[in-house]
Amino acid sequence: MAVDLTTLVDSETGTISPLIYCDEELYELELERVFGRSWLFLAHDSMIPKAGDFFSTYMGEDPVLVVRQKDGSVAAFLNQCRHRGMRLCRADSGNQRGAFTCTYHGWAYGLGGDLISVTHEDDAWHGELDKAAWGCVQVTQVENYKGFIFGNWDPTAPSFTDYLGDFAWYFDVFADRFDNGLEMVGGMHKWVLDCNWKFAAEQFTTDMQHAEISHGSAFIALMPDDFPGLAAMPTDGVQFSSEAGHGCGFFVDGPVLEFVPGPVPARYWQETTLEEATRRIGQARAEGFRAAHFNIFPTFSFLPGLQTMRVWQPKGPGKMEVWAWIAVPRDAPPEVKEAWRLGMIRTFSPGGQFEQDDGENWLEIQKVLKGRMARKFPLNAQMGLGHERYDDPTFPGKTNTCYSETAARGMYQRWIDMMTCDSWSEIQARQEKREALR
Amino acid sequence: MTMELTSLARVSVELQHEIEQFLYHEAALLAEREYRDWLDLFAPDIHYWMPTRYNRLRRELHREFSEPDETAFFDEDYDSLSRRITRLETGMAWAEDPPSRTRHLFTNVRVIPTENVVEFEVHCNFLLYRSRLEHDVEFFVGARTDVLRRTDRGVGWEIARRKVVLDQSTLNAKNLSMFF
Repeated sequence: MAVDLTTLVDSETGTISPLIYCDEELYELELERVFGRSWLFLAHDSMIPKAGDFFSTYMGEDPVLVVRQKDGSVAAFLNQCRHRGMRLCRADSGNQRGAFTCTYHGWAYGLGGDLISVTHEDDAWHGELDKAAWGCVQVTQVENYKGFIFGNWDPTAPSFTDYLGDFAWYFDVFADRFDNGLEMVGGMHKWVLDCNWKFAAEQFTTDMQHAEISHGSAFIALMPDDFPGLAAMPTDGVQFSSEAGHGCGFFVDGPVLEFVPGPVPARYWQETTLEEATRRIGQARAEGFRAAHFNIFPTFSFLPGLQTMRVWQPKGPGKMEVWAWIAVPRDAPPEVKEAWRLGMIRTFSPGGQFEQDDGENWLEIQKVLKGRMARKFPLNAQMGLGHERYDDPTFPGKTNTCYSETAARGMYQRWIDMMTCDSWSEIQARQEKREALR
Repeated sequence: MTMELTSLARVSVELQHEIEQFLYHEAALLAEREYRDWLDLFAPDIHYWMPTRYNRLRRELHREFSEPDETAFFDEDYDSLSRRITRLETGMAWAEDPPSRTRHLFTNVRVIPTENVVEFEVHCNFLLYRSRLEHDVEFFVGARTDVLRRTDRGVGWEIARRKVVLDQSTLNAKNLSMFF
């Protein structure tokens, strides 16, 4: 490898090499070591409710079919025929009653990816093909966490809840707030951004601060008519950084949801369901997340309260696709769901008033990184360095004020751990060593 | 000379011409970035909608487009369109500052009368070209279905409904910061 991996990330001094966003060799290694070993979001229960419902997604650059089985469980397997490697299913989603049949030579696979029939099995294959050995390549581990289905290729990876670690407490702000959970608004957004996936993942992990600059125009444009002005916006918030690379940040008071997604969902989130949420996750988490950004390492992001949810699908060192959903409380009345739906379409979508400007930033960074000098000098991720704390009375773990880059440093440290460690036990040993420092 | 109306040509040449000129007028306003004048072409009850679109198996083609209560690229009313323009006017809408260069080309214009004598359904195909910054180039191809309504104000017509169908599934663009 031309690049010296030890020079890429220094989380203690808060510096990162621009190469992590643009180097081809690093990207290939990343597909193997990060995406091949991390827990990746596959689907939400509500996207594939009925037996035979399938959703075509990716884990890294590998196409994967996620399929609801007849017994209600979920199978996930490589969307690739074992004969010549053809893509088994070319639809984005749908319902498959019988088999996934390869359109090249007709190998047919059951809903679980098992090879059930082969054309000319008796005459051309002489009945000698061991079908049990040639099923689709299964995603080794699949777990359903409160309706969110995740997969991991690596049999030695820790369980999903161990992988979440101390981030589970935070994830439940989104995953466990409502008695009947969440459901996805029908359909989704997919669009291409010519930039590295880490810009987006990092922003949802750590970056509340960019909003006031990147999104100033959207705040002005979307200000409710009766709003007292931008000065009423909150600045008091907390950021949490997991040594497993996950991160989040949130305002603990003040009006934000009134802007996005708007007053109707804001009232439902902050008033109507406050008692329900408090009963489920306690007062701190029920009240304390007034607009929040979250990322589960590496690429599963969401904004609790706003309710956009997305995966950053890597498509090369300088390219990704955003796959985004709108997650509404299943029990919310129709008019509340509708307000959430419209609120997110108009703010967090390719045409969204907020989202447009994020892409502009990330793409211009990527273009600049074609320059030799631009790739040579380290970038600064030092905001709030040395001001981390472990004693917040309300919010557990390693925290800082919400305008900091503690969680970015945590994310990049985890990334370089995965890039350099040969085994999951090594990765976990490094994590535990950092956790012991507190 | 008045042409006889047929099942394919259901409005007069004059009306067809007038409506085409309205479409071109709207396109010129967008190209010139006269967004407030453009917004003034819309009726207060406008519904401006661009559904999302998926790769489906032929037997499930009825689910190719998102439904009205599902995800969409645009689902706008007059107020939300106006706020999009407010954003552009702040001088801080970075995705459009410096602004894009856009050009709307329309073909296949078909005008169909509705039960309401002052409203016409207008179908057209479009090609929207966007050039941005140093080298960004994008093409959007699709079909638009408008309901145009005769009115006493402005240029004499207003847009009461707009449905935009894009001939892409995964959006091959960094954003939709322009108008269709």
